[in-house]
Amino acid sequence: MKIPVATRPTIRMMFPKMGVIRGSLAVSAVLLVLSWVFVLGWDRQQRVPFFSAESAARAWSFMQDLAGVGRVTSPAYGELSEWWRVARLAYETLVMSVLAVMLSGIAAFLTFLLGARNVMLGELAPNAGWVSRGVFLAVRMAWAFVRAVPELVWALIVVFVFAPGILPGAMALAIHNYGVLGKLASEVVEGMDAKPARALQTAGAGRTKMLLYGVLPQALPRFLTYLLYRWEVVIRTTIVVGFVAAGGLGMEFRLSMSNFHYTTVTLLLGWYLILVLGVDLVSSQLRRLVR
Amino acid sequence: MRTLASPVTWMESRRLLTMILLGALLWSLASVDWQDGVLHARGLAALREIACAVFRPDLSWETLGKLVTSAWRTVAYAMAGLSLALLIGFPLGLLASGVLNRSLAKRRAVQAVARFVLGFLRAIHELVWAWLFVAAIGLSPLAAVLALAIPYGGILGRIYAELFQDVPEAPLRALRNAGASEWRVFWYGRLPTVLPELIGYTFYRLECGIRSATVLSFVGLGGLGFQIGIALDDLAYGRAWTFILGLVGLIVLVEAWSGVVRRKVIL
Repeated sequence: MKIPVATRPTIRMMFPKMGVIRGSLAVSAVLLVLSWVFVLGWDRQQRVPFFSAESAARAWSFMQDLAGVGRVTSPAYGELSEWWRVARLAYETLVMSVLAVMLSGIAAFLTFLLGARNVMLGELAPNAGWVSRGVFLAVRMAWAFVRAVPELVWALIVVFVFAPGILPGAMALAIHNYGVLGKLASEVVEGMDAKPARALQTAGAGRTKMLLYGVLPQALPRFLTYLLYRWEVVIRTTIVVGFVAAGGLGMEFRLSMSNFHYTTVTLLLGWYLILVLGVDLVSSQLRRLVR
Repeated sequence: MRTLASPVTWMESRRLLTMILLGALLWSLASVDWQDGVLHARGLAALREIACAVFRPDLSWETLGKLVTSAWRTVAYAMAGLSLALLIGFPLGLLASGVLNRSLAKRRAVQAVARFVLGFLRAIHELVWAWLFVAAIGLSPLAAVLALAIPYGGILGRIYAELFQDVPEAPLRALRNAGASEWRVFWYGRLPTVLPELIGYTFYRLECGIRSATVLSFVGLGGLGFQIGIALDDLAYGRAWTFILGLVGLIVLVEAWSGVVRRKVIL
């Protein structure tokens, strides 16, 4: 790639033969303009536009409510008993996130090889028939489906089946993340060095042994890393799933917002931030153990 | 980096991790209340009804019309939100990468501040932001766009910072030797090198953004998630599936698009 220093590099210079990218950027630009026209046009139909003096005043008074300014009783975040009550909910939320990650991790661990192209159809599948082709396609499609539906929508469906508590929330999170983890893990297998597995095959190892000793040891560290990364995402989403799955901080957040207990909302957000930062920290420490 | 003197050797650390993960699994399973039954009294019947309804989606013209308009609304939120996230993430990512400062002390300070800001933006889920905005200001599509832009700006900034740092040094040194300032080195050396990956990653985020925009509409801002929620409240499973399948179709389409872009980009 030659870049003359005198002129600023343009998209055309960087992607000389890539019509797809230029086309994609053009399509995105059109969509972008249409989107903003739509969003701003709709906003102007509102009685109070989003960026206006009245909105600013409302936002300011909302922030005062969150801080508990001008209240007769003391704010919720000033009461030790409230801190303990919300601590229990935070603990519940943490358990929910761990359960979700573990469930999706186990499900993905049991099936991720079925969605790896090289294991099912490619160079690591010496005699792949239509059965393995069918299984591969079915697994891939199932992942794409469960991944496409967001956690909250899964939660809305799951609450029809499970009794309220931490389990439905964890199930909803696990279903979505199963699709994500399955895809990520199978991509690891597809991108890995196939030589050790081939060597085992040449030495007479059967398919099971080849997968156990040739593929898994390479894929497992990356799989665990992804699992821990997903935990960081899941803990952020757990509160959202709790809105409908009746568990942890989310449910309490919803109730407090509906009852205008805004100082409780502040306390809940505080615990939420503590959880998120704590999980980020623990996850990064555990990731170092994987290496 | 582990040195030989480290008390935890490689195998031991793996074993430790296994123990931790197993312990976490048992602990979380033990915390579920298994005694009172985990299913609703009518849970299995509901499951069967929902599962059967997938073969009978509501294909009336009214529902299909709603599907198109709410899908467009969702895409519009995602595009507008992501463009705003780009405006937040690019400059913050540039600061957090610390490539513009040659003096170490200054770089450390700028990096620390930028990383903190990015971490804070990333910490809170977009739906929580959306709810706060709606509660504070009222129903406006800009609430959704802003709510989406904040965490996505944080994520993009973090990734962009990593991209800007991981550029091979040799061409940059050549630019520096030719007398270019760090700003010029960024503009003519770093950015062109990482631009393909940057575009690829941003396209991947578009896919996530559409999923997130679906969820945002639950606070009353219209869109696919709103329709799914209403249909499920009405126990109209067929209609809910129409919107869910529409969402899946939309996501698969965008996934395919971003997949094509990323394959072209990462040679």
